[in-house]
Amino acid sequence: MISLRKVWIVAERDIKMFLRYKFLLIMRAIWFISQIALFGLVVNHMFRVDVQAAVGGSYFNYYAAGIVITMLYSTTVFIGYDIYEEADHGVIEYLLSVPVSRKELVLGRSVGGGLRSFLYVGPMMLFVLYLIGVSNPLQLLVALLSLFLFTFGVAGFSITLAVSIKSSDRFDILMGVIDALIVRLSTTLYPIAYMPPYYRGIALINPLTFAADFFRWGAGLESAASVPPLLAALGIVAFFSIFTFLGVVLHERRLEGGGWQ
Amino acid sequence: MAPIIRMVNLTKKFGDFTAVDHLNLEVEEGEILGILGPNGAGKTTTLLMLTTVIRPTEGTAFIGPYDVTKEPDKARTLIGMAFQEPKLLWVDSPWDILNWHAKVCGLPPDERAKRVRWALEELELWNDRYKSVHAFSGGMRKRVEIAKILIQRPKIAIVDEPTAQIDVVGKHRIWNMLRDLRDEGSTILLATNELYEADVLSDRVAIMHKGKLLVCDEPKKLKDSIPGGDVVEIALEKDAPEKVLNELREIPRVVNVLTVKPNYLKIYLNQAEEVLPKITEFFVKMHVQIRSIRMSEPSLDDVFAHYTGLTIEEAQRE
Repeated sequence: MISLRKVWIVAERDIKMFLRYKFLLIMRAIWFISQIALFGLVVNHMFRVDVQAAVGGSYFNYYAAGIVITMLYSTTVFIGYDIYEEADHGVIEYLLSVPVSRKELVLGRSVGGGLRSFLYVGPMMLFVLYLIGVSNPLQLLVALLSLFLFTFGVAGFSITLAVSIKSSDRFDILMGVIDALIVRLSTTLYPIAYMPPYYRGIALINPLTFAADFFRWGAGLESAASVPPLLAALGIVAFFSIFTFLGVVLHERRLEGGGWQ
Repeated sequence: MAPIIRMVNLTKKFGDFTAVDHLNLEVEEGEILGILGPNGAGKTTTLLMLTTVIRPTEGTAFIGPYDVTKEPDKARTLIGMAFQEPKLLWVDSPWDILNWHAKVCGLPPDERAKRVRWALEELELWNDRYKSVHAFSGGMRKRVEIAKILIQRPKIAIVDEPTAQIDVVGKHRIWNMLRDLRDEGSTILLATNELYEADVLSDRVAIMHKGKLLVCDEPKKLKDSIPGGDVVEIALEKDAPEKVLNELREIPRVVNVLTVKPNYLKIYLNQAEEVLPKITEFFVKMHVQIRSIRMSEPSLDDVFAHYTGLTIEEAQRE
């Protein structure tokens, strides 16, 4: 039986921990602002009318919504780095000794990893929604709830990789590669219509595509979405379920016994 | 009364290396049981199996009624552990660490605040409660680690070298706090390689070496049990040749001779007052000059030496 109180206590710890990384938080915020205020605006001026039409009228809006999702992804995967930090200081052993089940521990970490990212990206998301101009609050609420699940899934994904690899250097390199592939092979930055056909298949099953398209749908940019909203929502739920499950299983099997590098 | 901890053939292997070898040991409720042994004896590995941090390779242990291999979640509800190396992140403050620990252990908010404050004050950390542990000395970090179990007051408190890196005054304070914890109803399992700590703090001492349990009993009984109730320590001007050692062992009432250093011997014997003159005569006859002679009561180190042929210091070096 899983105790939600204990799941929350674990999550709360991760949220508080994240807020202490002030340097990281400031740098990521500057990165976001420069992506919107520099790259987004400049690139928007470069595109012809037909390109703007393909992304729902404004590439800037399309891009701004996409960059929120990449931001959400990149801040959520940080939970994997936390696991290495904890392994380095032996805190993992401590966490394994407290009266919390392994399932509560990994669920708490997924929830904490996702929620803290959501809280951090929240103001940036609101800013982007303000720029886009939300037309249907209910639709937006559904999209936001779905993004909650998306962040939990990303946290589970990061935890799964961290406990499987057990080497911080390899994890760091792998996350860099995954970040390059998962972001570029998705509709976060550009519409699927402009991708070569052999990339499209991958982009259509990419969780970042589901998240970006569903967020755009929620923000009223329906015509910019390349995946139907229901399919995107189901994709997010599947992503969340798979990686939360994998996180729980691997956490239980791999976390014990040391071997961290 | 049923033991509160029962280890049954508890074994842990890391590849070909056996860290804990078929350990059978019982801990009675309300006692302080010291596990004494040099580094590498298997003490910490044993404790980590009891706290379910690592799984046994073979055998099991029961924490109360719970088998650690089958019901680890339930077993952990009875346990609190203070680790050998403090498990703290550098961004944490003592207040956050202890408050979260109290919370995860299920203490209600009022009690939590009271106990955290009490432990921080007792361990002289109150003024530094909001500082990052990054700036703390080894001793201060160790005190934060110990504070966890003092706050939790678990049914079974497991402490791994609780006073390592702590000054003498601090050691006595922590020993008293552990005794108070025991008096309030906790059972304490203490791993240490400090002989004095094991002697003064433990109701019973289990001596481990190379993953095996050598003996377990009350400290006094252990010391009384070794043959040769008196110990004579002799420092020589030069190293004692093997021949001298062999002949020394032949002197009546000499039970054992341990070479602590080539020129420092520990002689276990009966009726020292009668045998000592014979020993000094013997060294004169063998032309080995004595620098000093000291008589002492047997210690736990002598018990360890009786079973292993090594002092704890020697075993540590091995």
